Amino acid sequence: MTPAHSAFSIGGPAALSASTGLSYWAGWKHIGKWAGLGMIALIYFPLVWLALLSISVNPLSGIPGPISIEHYKALFANSAWHMPMVASLIIGLIVGLVCAVVATIVGRAVPNASHPGRMLLMFVLPLFVPGMSMGAALFIFTRSILGLKLGFWSIALGHFVWAFPFALLIILVLTTRFDHRLVEAGRDLGASNWRVFWDIEFPILMPGIVSAGLFGFLMSFNEVMRTIFLRGTSETMPVWNWVQAAAQQSQVPIIFALATLVLLVTLPLLATAFWFLFVRLEKS
Amino acid sequence: MISSTLQITPTPSLRPNLFSRMFARTDWVIAAILLAWFILVIVPLAVLFSFSFFETKSYATIYNPSFNTWISLFESGRFEVTLRTLRIALTVTAIELLIAYPFALWLAKGHVSKGMRAVILALLTIPFFLDISSRTIIWRAILGQNGLVNTVLMWLGVTDTPVEWLLYTEWSVHFGMLISLFPTMVLPIYMAINIIEDTLIEASNDLGATPWQTLSRVILPLSLPGVMAGVVFTLGPALAAWVEPSMLGGGFVNLLSNSIESAYTALRYPVVAALSTFVILMLVVLLGVMILAARRFGDLSSSFRVLKG
Repeated sequence: MTPAHSAFSIGGPAALSASTGLSYWAGWKHIGKWAGLGMIALIYFPLVWLALLSISVNPLSGIPGPISIEHYKALFANSAWHMPMVASLIIGLIVGLVCAVVATIVGRAVPNASHPGRMLLMFVLPLFVPGMSMGAALFIFTRSILGLKLGFWSIALGHFVWAFPFALLIILVLTTRFDHRLVEAGRDLGASNWRVFWDIEFPILMPGIVSAGLFGFLMSFNEVMRTIFLRGTSETMPVWNWVQAAAQQSQVPIIFALATLVLLVTLPLLATAFWFLFVRLEKS
Repeated sequence: MISSTLQITPTPSLRPNLFSRMFARTDWVIAAILLAWFILVIVPLAVLFSFSFFETKSYATIYNPSFNTWISLFESGRFEVTLRTLRIALTVTAIELLIAYPFALWLAKGHVSKGMRAVILALLTIPFFLDISSRTIIWRAILGQNGLVNTVLMWLGVTDTPVEWLLYTEWSVHFGMLISLFPTMVLPIYMAINIIEDTLIEASNDLGATPWQTLSRVILPLSLPGVMAGVVFTLGPALAAWVEPSMLGGGFVNLLSNSIESAYTALRYPVVAALSTFVILMLVVLLGVMILAARRFGDLSSSFRVLKG
């Protein structure tokens, strides 16, 4: 009999009999673990390689060579990417801000709704629709049916539809755990609705609101599929990267440098957000 | 755990007047947001579907409902593209499931330390927020003729000439998709396994089940909703994959997304609509098949009940 405290593990104690030996083989657990960790390594290895190639003399050779910052110099001498970068930053900021505000309003309401499941399903529906289909749907609706001229506004709209479900789910992590007795206590002590929200709810929801905004910004900043359909003649940063990379090989070193810089800003931001959401929240 | 018992119980307020007045006002805002969302998401999808019944003649859309556009999807080379897309998407999803399930099981129930688990979950989530095109284009430099892999292989003496099939083949498209879609498969499965009570697993062990029996009779049926969510979240993007086939397929591997894009460039919007709808429909059909299969395998509703606690 196995002791009760040894909860489940694929490779349990040594084989009880020869016929079930394979089932108890300790290696299963390690295969599962290392295959998955290998996949994670494959996700992150290209980022390292990208950074290494961006500081090499000849990035297109495929092997990081002698170190050189000439591609960064070329990047800063080139101004073609400024406009798309500014556009992406502004669209991202707007999408992030709107995501944070709307997700806070909806996130507070969903747990109290009469049909929380249905309401949530409606708001997370875009997660199930492939990006290309959603982009095409919004494109046909705005361009062909409404006859509007597409541009930055339609890009922002498409990004919002994509980023909002994520922002909402993040806020819901906090609002579903929210202790409503705090609100009532505040109200019993004579606080107005606004004071209750501002002094009690807001500080508690703060990490979620900030993360929702940040994630909204990043989802928007890196979006390609929907932007392709909704951009009209405007360009965002990822689309500019995409067009340059597809059109001419000579631009690739500059794109490597630019992508590395974006990663250097993005990764610490993300790490901070995760630290806020999971480490600090656990402690409080 | 205290906080979870205190949570969203709809508290009967001591001051019903004030409470209801406040919520009456938020209701307005919520209703407006719901309406806006409906117009932004549901209406465009409905328009997309209806648009697929129109057709184009000399760059103009003819608003005369017919099945012509749909019929044209199954003619010419497009049917071949559809089959290829289905084959690649299903292969990628199946391999993903094979790697992700054991990994999620290890992560949730393999005595992983809390810090380690947080780090792995963060590492799995961060890719959602990174630019997919620069992450994919770099594989050209790794898999290419004078890339890292070929350099290492030739240095080791495994091969004298660069291995050609590493890039711009179906293999590289599979490979790129496998990497970018791994987190979407792991995370839902992990969440489903994570909330299975340890006591159920212990009970199964105590009753003399082998680990394999515990896995197939207890854990697998209880985690089916997570598996299905993972399959949907992986299969959807796989069916509509565009970055990987264009960047790593080098024009040799055309998928449905490439057809959608070329129809878009050619201003043939009904074709865009039909192809996009088709992708969504395939997703719905495959999900339906999975739910039916899951019914045979185990009672799905019971696992939902357990997961709800």
